[in-house]
Amino acid sequence: MSSQPRPSKSPRPNWVSTRNPCKACAPLGAALVMRGIEGALPFLHGSQGCATYMRRYLISHFREPMDIATSGFSEATTIFGGEKNLCQGLDNVTSQYHPALIGIATTCLTETIGEDMHGMLHQYRARPGEADDPLLVHVSTPAYSGTHIDGFNDAVRAVVEQLAEAGHAPSAYLENFVNVFPGLVSSEDLRFLKEVCADFALPATLFPDYSETLDGPSMEIYKKIPEGGTSLAALRATPSAKASIELGRTLRQKRTAASFLQERFSVPAKRIGLPIGINESDSFFAALEKLSGHKTPEKYTRERGRLVDAYVDGHKYLFGKRALIIGDEDMVVGLTSFLAETGVLPVLCASGGKSGAFARSIAEVTTHLREPAMVREGVDFMTIAEELALKDLKPDFVIGSSKAAKLARTLGVPLIRLGFPIHDRIGGQRILHLGYRGAQQLFDLVVNTLLEVKQDSNSIGYSYL
Amino acid sequence: MARRSIAIYGKGGIGKSTTTQNTVAALAEAGKKIMVVGCDPKADSTRLLLGGLAQKTVLDTLRDEGGDEVDLNEILRPGYGNVQCTESGGPEPGVGCAGRGIITSINLLEQLGAYDQELDYVFYDVLGDVVCGGFAMPIREGKAKEIYIVCSGEMMAMYAANNISKGVVKFAQAGGVRLGGIICNSRKVDNEQEMIEEFAKRLGTQMIHFVPRNNDVQRAEINRKTVIEWNPACEQADEYRALARAIDNNQKFVVPTPLPMDDLEKLLIDFGLVDGVAPGTEVVA
Repeated sequence: MSSQPRPSKSPRPNWVSTRNPCKACAPLGAALVMRGIEGALPFLHGSQGCATYMRRYLISHFREPMDIATSGFSEATTIFGGEKNLCQGLDNVTSQYHPALIGIATTCLTETIGEDMHGMLHQYRARPGEADDPLLVHVSTPAYSGTHIDGFNDAVRAVVEQLAEAGHAPSAYLENFVNVFPGLVSSEDLRFLKEVCADFALPATLFPDYSETLDGPSMEIYKKIPEGGTSLAALRATPSAKASIELGRTLRQKRTAASFLQERFSVPAKRIGLPIGINESDSFFAALEKLSGHKTPEKYTRERGRLVDAYVDGHKYLFGKRALIIGDEDMVVGLTSFLAETGVLPVLCASGGKSGAFARSIAEVTTHLREPAMVREGVDFMTIAEELALKDLKPDFVIGSSKAAKLARTLGVPLIRLGFPIHDRIGGQRILHLGYRGAQQLFDLVVNTLLEVKQDSNSIGYSYL
Repeated sequence: MARRSIAIYGKGGIGKSTTTQNTVAALAEAGKKIMVVGCDPKADSTRLLLGGLAQKTVLDTLRDEGGDEVDLNEILRPGYGNVQCTESGGPEPGVGCAGRGIITSINLLEQLGAYDQELDYVFYDVLGDVVCGGFAMPIREGKAKEIYIVCSGEMMAMYAANNISKGVVKFAQAGGVRLGGIICNSRKVDNEQEMIEEFAKRLGTQMIHFVPRNNDVQRAEINRKTVIEWNPACEQADEYRALARAIDNNQKFVVPTPLPMDDLEKLLIDFGLVDGVAPGTEVVA
């Protein structure tokens, strides 16, 4: 060691700041989960801008109203702490919305100044003469140490942890139901999961469930809190389930709702990859067969059969095509599994998430590929672009959220918009990714996109391709 | 004369506030116009100059009035020798963000025109450790240009002084802040004066004054006064006058050269603390 200070010229940093991030912030994921609870309202403890940004972001994807309350921090609140604002905010939300539950997520500001959420909510609940308070649950979501997916999964766990009561099974369920934790999927995916469970005669608590709250029919009279969502009774009863199914290979081992229920209440947890494509859907349907004791209904075996037929029909168009797949880790793993089945070559699988399980998961679903896909976790779009140029990967198309639009345009290849968020097209919430039926739609979409490019870029106006 | 802005740092409990206020009192006695900005949430940096705790801190006004209709006279009070005294204040312990409080408070003082008056000196008395960005506010963005570190011959005080020097290096690169010297506030450690002189030299600076330990400081404090005010004729008052003169005449402002931990420990051993080592302990010299 030298006694001299470091030279005054600033050394080249060994890190690069995020440029064009491939993720959103943790409380956004948490707010989405809170929206999937019946009668609940999301509440962000922090500055107003956080709530505004997340509302804007979610509304642009779902095209539905999305109210998010905030404790509206000011400079003084930041210095002296936000207890007064929190209590006032909860009072206001209670009197304006009459929610059954308020789902409170922290923000970067309140995490950094170390707000004692547990203590403040304890005080609030203990104040005299307030028997009719909504339930209050809270989740810690510092965005600088995670992504919207971390916020989403942590919120799912926090809600289950804080509501779960042993021996509270609603009579309608008897003791034959399962918990299903789907992760961040589309509203259509959620409707599909409910349909599948019903077809297997398997009662299921699906959580979160924003299939109606964030994609409901047009109402004559506006409701401040839309109908739908997982009921509080069902959430209280999660420990009485005979099993939990959680979807996603990259879920953090000990941090999920299913692992909590297994540890605390001995509810067996079954983790399956997001069922996209044939292989992952097969695992999902096999699990449902086992848990329900019923064979897969013919409706689904026929969907699977048609899908196999379509794979054969379209193989000549897809074989050897090079795909760049970007998005949330589990979505990318599922889509990669699907594409690899069809003969597409995934050249780069990238995500802004950093679960630590991404590369392993991609490897697990692509064991049959001779050329393993390159995998990059925790990256931004600039890094992805640099990686593509460096390795001369030349993708034929990109699959990702609408955040990949600029990259696809630069590459001069089509972007197939899947996952979340989709801000520059309508209907992102109605894309079905899951099951054989979802894979069928994805397959047709991918093939047709490539055919369109082929047709458009050819000087001869072929009408047979 | 151009206004000088000075920040006083040092380990918690080392006597920063006492030393600052006594030195400021001596400068005021010599006719200097001074403002003291207390940057400690406890708001006890101007107690001796005001003859009691400040009635209202800068941040109190923010809490009560939202910061829009604040009258400077509410938060800036003249104390001994017409020294303008103000306290940042801050949240109760364990809540909120005291660091942000310092930033807001200094910004608010600027907005309200506290710095517009004719002043020879602005002194910032900062909480013990520079625990976060807020507590570095007084030496950022060209606010305080000179830093003095209060230190004693105790190891942890020297360790803290060395750490603060590292912070000064960092801010010296971006702004104009410089170390003006080490003020030794004696704890009657063996060879204290020689050791701190050597320590200061290694840091590339000077021991600007050795303030001996004297119970008159305590006696004055009980009376909520600086020694200058309590008993202008006492010996300790002269010590603070000497320190004030040394600061007033100081020409030596440096970017410090903090010591590696090994060198700091060796310094302590070289200056006789080796006697205190338990028998049988191997001393690495």
